[in-house]
Amino acid sequence: MQALAPSGILAGMTRYVTDDIIYALATAWAQSALAVIRISGEGCLKALSPCFSRPKALVEAQNATTVHGYIRTEAGENIDEVVASVWTDGHGYTLEESVELSCHGSLSVIKEILGLLGRLGMRSAEGGEFTFRAFLHGRLDLTQAEAVQELVSSQSKTARALALGRLEGSLKNQIADFKQRLLTITASVEVQLDYAEDELDEFVFPREQLETLRKDIAVLADTYQVGRLYREGARIVLAGSTNAGKSSLFNLLLKQERSIVSPVKGTTRDYIEADLSIEGIPIRLYDTAGLREGSDAIESEGIRRTERLMGQADLVIYLVDSTDVSHIPSEDERTIVVYNKSDLVRPPKGRLAISAQTGEGVTTLLSAITERLTGGSHASGDDLVVIESERQSRLLTDAGNALERASALVTLDIPLDIIAVELSEALQNLGELTGEVTPSDILETIFSGFCVGK
Amino acid sequence: MDYDAIVVGGGHAGIEASLALSRIGFKTLLITQNLDSIGRLSCNPAIGGLSKGNLVREVDALGGEMAHLIDHSMIQYRILNRRRGPAVQAPRAQADKFTYARLAKETLEAQPNLALFMDTVVDLVLDKEGKKLVGVVTQRRHTITCRVLVLTTGTFMEGRIFIGEYDAPNGRLDESAAIGLGTALRSKGFPVGRLKTGTPARVRKSSLDFSKMELQDGEEIMMPFSFDYDSIDRPMLPCHITWTNERTHEIIRANIHRSPLYGGKIVGKGPRYCPSIEDKVVRFPDRERHQIFVEPEGEGTEEMYLNGISSSLPEDVQWDFIHSIEGLEDAQIMRPAYAVEYDFIDPQALYPSLESKLVENLFIAGQTNGTSGYEEAACQGLMAGINAAQKLKGEKPLVLSRNEAYTGVLIDDLVTMGTQEPYRMFTSRAEYRLNLRHDSCDQRLTQKGYAVGLQKQENLERLQAKLEKMETVKELLAKRRMGEKSALQTLKMPEITIADLEAQMPELSSFEQPILYQVELDVKYEGYINRQERQINRFEKLESLVIDALMDYDAVEGLSAEGREKLKKIRPLSVGQASRINGVRNSDIAVLILHLDRGGRHGK
Repeated sequence: MQALAPSGILAGMTRYVTDDIIYALATAWAQSALAVIRISGEGCLKALSPCFSRPKALVEAQNATTVHGYIRTEAGENIDEVVASVWTDGHGYTLEESVELSCHGSLSVIKEILGLLGRLGMRSAEGGEFTFRAFLHGRLDLTQAEAVQELVSSQSKTARALALGRLEGSLKNQIADFKQRLLTITASVEVQLDYAEDELDEFVFPREQLETLRKDIAVLADTYQVGRLYREGARIVLAGSTNAGKSSLFNLLLKQERSIVSPVKGTTRDYIEADLSIEGIPIRLYDTAGLREGSDAIESEGIRRTERLMGQADLVIYLVDSTDVSHIPSEDERTIVVYNKSDLVRPPKGRLAISAQTGEGVTTLLSAITERLTGGSHASGDDLVVIESERQSRLLTDAGNALERASALVTLDIPLDIIAVELSEALQNLGELTGEVTPSDILETIFSGFCVGK
Repeated sequence: MDYDAIVVGGGHAGIEASLALSRIGFKTLLITQNLDSIGRLSCNPAIGGLSKGNLVREVDALGGEMAHLIDHSMIQYRILNRRRGPAVQAPRAQADKFTYARLAKETLEAQPNLALFMDTVVDLVLDKEGKKLVGVVTQRRHTITCRVLVLTTGTFMEGRIFIGEYDAPNGRLDESAAIGLGTALRSKGFPVGRLKTGTPARVRKSSLDFSKMELQDGEEIMMPFSFDYDSIDRPMLPCHITWTNERTHEIIRANIHRSPLYGGKIVGKGPRYCPSIEDKVVRFPDRERHQIFVEPEGEGTEEMYLNGISSSLPEDVQWDFIHSIEGLEDAQIMRPAYAVEYDFIDPQALYPSLESKLVENLFIAGQTNGTSGYEEAACQGLMAGINAAQKLKGEKPLVLSRNEAYTGVLIDDLVTMGTQEPYRMFTSRAEYRLNLRHDSCDQRLTQKGYAVGLQKQENLERLQAKLEKMETVKELLAKRRMGEKSALQTLKMPEITIADLEAQMPELSSFEQPILYQVELDVKYEGYINRQERQINRFEKLESLVIDALMDYDAVEGLSAEGREKLKKIRPLSVGQASRINGVRNSDIAVLILHLDRGGRHGK
C-alpha cells in the first residue's frame, strides 16, 4: 500500500470529494455533430429527472440501457433531444450511478445543458476526476488509471492503440510476469534464510534468471522514450543549403502522408512548419528557409533561428545536394544525412539517397526516420507494451538498478541477507506499479515450491 | 476480587504471562491442569532457531524468562546460518527437557505474588452485559474472580490426538484435553476454529546404530540467549543425522489410506512448513530421501527425538518405516508419533495488545491464537502479561512495531491477517530484518521492558555500559591506521573479520566477544541499514496515521463492500495496519486517508 504515497494520480486526490454528483463534457469543446456529457454520482438520475422529458423512464432505467427524451429547462422548454445511457451503481466507468447524455454538438446547446446541470446542484468535474473515482472504486489499478489519462491526451492512432492496450492490462500483465519471476528468485533466496543450512539442499544463486529479468525490465523501461514519442511526437528539422531541395522534400513528405493536420505558413518566421504523421508517430516538420552557406551570413537572425530549431529538434534531416558535395556534415544520432537529386548524380555508395523530384528513396527515408526516432523499438505491432508515465519509468528503472546491485553483490559473495534487501527493493518497486507484494506472497511461493521443514 | 490476574495454562505462554504480571506487582494465580506439566517441551527438545532465537532474546530483553530457562538446561548450542549473513543468523540450543520443565516450575514457585493451582478452567464468567470478564469456573466447580485474565490453553482446548485409526481426547499423548472451554467460548460468540500439528516418535538411544549416521556437534563455546550474563558452562551432547530412503517412502505410500489426515478424520489444518513425513512423500514424490535429525531429549534419558518424520500413521506402519531407515533398523520405539487437533481462537478477534475485542479484560496468547512453537508462545504470553498489567494500571498497551521486533511482526500478522495454519515465525515475514538482529534486541527493547515495570534497573545499567564499550571499540578502530585506511574502514570489507583485526590490535582483547561481534556487524551493515531506513520511513508514515478502534466505517463513503466488511472486523488501529488486511484494496486505503484528512479522525 505504500505504493500510493508517491503516485502522481493520487497526489492531488485530497482536492476531490467523492460524495457529490459531478458532470463534464466528455467530447471536445468544439462544434460537432454530437457531443457527450457525462454525469456521475449517487442520485444523479433522480437529480436530472425533473429536467428530463421522461423522468420515470430515466430513474427506473436498467443498467446499461438507453433512454430517449428531451432535456428541458426548469421552465419546461426543450433544450435538446438526447439519448441518455444509464449505468446503475456498481457499473459503468466510475462504478457509480451515472448517465451519459448524447446531445447535439452545437456549442450553444452544450453550454445550456452544462449550465442547467450546475443549477441542478451538480458540480463541474475537476480534470481526471472521473478516472479518480474509477480508481477509488477499484475499477482500475494505477497503471490502468494512468492509461486513461494518456488515452484522453493521446495524439496519434498508435498512441491511442498503445494506451488502449494498457487499459486492457497488457502493461499490467507484463509487470505481473516480472513480479512473478522476481518472486520466484526471491523465494529461492528467502527459503535459504528461513531454514538452517543443514535442512536444505545445496544452494546456487539463480544468476541467469536474475540477469534475464534485469534485461527484460530494462527493455520495458527503455520503451518510455518510445512511448513518449508516440504520445508527444517528435520535431524534425529539414536542414541543408538553399538549393539542396528541402522545400521539395517538405512538400513531398506532406503529400506522401494523407494525415496532414495543418500546414502552417510561417509568415513572420524564417521557416515553415507542418504537422504530419510518419508510421504513427506525430511529427512536426520544419522546413528551414534561412540556412545559407558562407561566413558573412552567420550573424543573420535567420541562421540563429534555424540553429536554435536544430538544437531543439529530435531529428535533423540534413539534405545534401548530390551535384554539389562541398560541405558534408557529420552524421550523429540526431542527424541523418540524405543525398538529394539522386536522379541527377549518383550519390556515394551506401548513403541514404533520394530524389525529391521523382520520389525515389522516400519510403526508405521514412523507415530510416522511424528507426532513428524509436531506437529500433517499432510500435507497429499490437503486442508491444510501452510505458508512458514518468512514474512507471522511474519505478522500472529503480527495480532494474536494485537487481543490478543484487547481481554485483552475488559476484562479491556477499551474504544472502544483504542481497535479499536489494531483491525486496526491486519487488517493492514492481509492486508499486500494480499492487503490493507482501511477505505472505513470498512464503506462499516458498511453500508451493520447496520441500521444507524438519 | 480473588486475584488481580489469572493465567490459564502453564505452558510457555502461561509461564511468561504469569511471571510478568506478578513481577510487575499484581497478585496473580496460574491455573494449570497438571502442575507436573509446567514448561513441557511437548515436541522438539530444542529452543531457538532462525527468527525463533530472536524471539527468545526479545523476550529476555523485555524481562521475560525463556532465555534463562534454556541457558540453564541446554545440552548443545549452535549458531545457524553463519554463512547466510548476520541478519538471519540465530542461536539454537538442544534442551534437556526435564531440566527445562523443572527450572520453569521452580521459577514460578520462587516468584512472590504468584499462586499456583491445579484445576481445569471450563468456562469464563462475564459481567451482566457479557462485555467484561470477571472470573473463571473450573472443572471442580470453583468460581475464581479476577480483574484480568490471560488465556493460554495451547493444544489442550478440545484437544484430540490421532495415531492411525486410534484417537483420544488428549492434549498431549495420554494427557487429558480441556473439555468444555472451547464449547463455552463458541457459545459466547468467539470465532473458534481447529488446527492440527504433529510430533515424531521417540526411540531408545541404546537401540540405535550411530555408526551409520552423520555426527552433528554443536559449537565449541556455548553462548547464552540471555543478555544478563556473558557465558554459560553446560555439558554437551551431539545430535546425529540420517535419511529416509525409497523403501521408507514405499511403506508410507502403501499405507497412506490409513492416515487420519488422508482419511478425512482430521479437519484442522496442519502447518505446511513442518509437514509430516507422509505429507512430504506425497507432495514431493521426486525426492529420493528426507533428512532426519536424531536429537537427545536430555542427559538423564534414553529417549531420542526423530526430527523430520512426524506422522499420524498407525503404529505398525511407523514401526515398519522407522526400521527401514539407516541406523534405526533395530530402533525401540518408546513413544509413537501422533497428530493432535485442537481449538484455536481466530486472533483477528484481538487488538494488537492481545486483548479480546469481544470481552474486555480478556487477553489471549500462545497456541490458542493459532501459532506453533514454544518461542512464538512465549513472546505472546509475555506481551499479554505486560498488557494485562498495563490495563490494570490504566496505562496504554505496549505494542511493538514490525521494525523493532519479530514479536511485533508476529502479533501484527496474527491480529491483522489471522492464520489458516499453525503460524510459525520466519525471517521472511519481517520486512526490515536487518534491524531485527538477535544480538541487538537489548538495544531495542530493554528500555521498553523497564518502562512497563518488568525489566530490572541493573539490566538497564548493563545495557548502558555495553553501549559505552561498543562506542569505545568503534573509536579505537577509527583511530587505528591500517595502511591507507582506518581499521574501521578495513572492517567494512567483506573478507575482513573483527578477529583478523584483533590479532593486530591486542587492545581489543579486553572487550567481551559479544561486544566485538556487535561492533563488527554494526560496521559491516551500516550502509545497508541506512538503505532500509528509507523503506522504514515510508512504512512509518502510514503507521502513524491513527484510526480509532470505534471508527464508523459505514460513514466512510467509497469503501469497497469487501474492504468495509474487513475493516469492521479487524478494526485496525492505524492506516498501516489497515493496508495489510487481506481484501482491503489500495483504493480503500486512499478513501480512508481522505476520510481521516477531512477530520474523520475521532481521536480518543
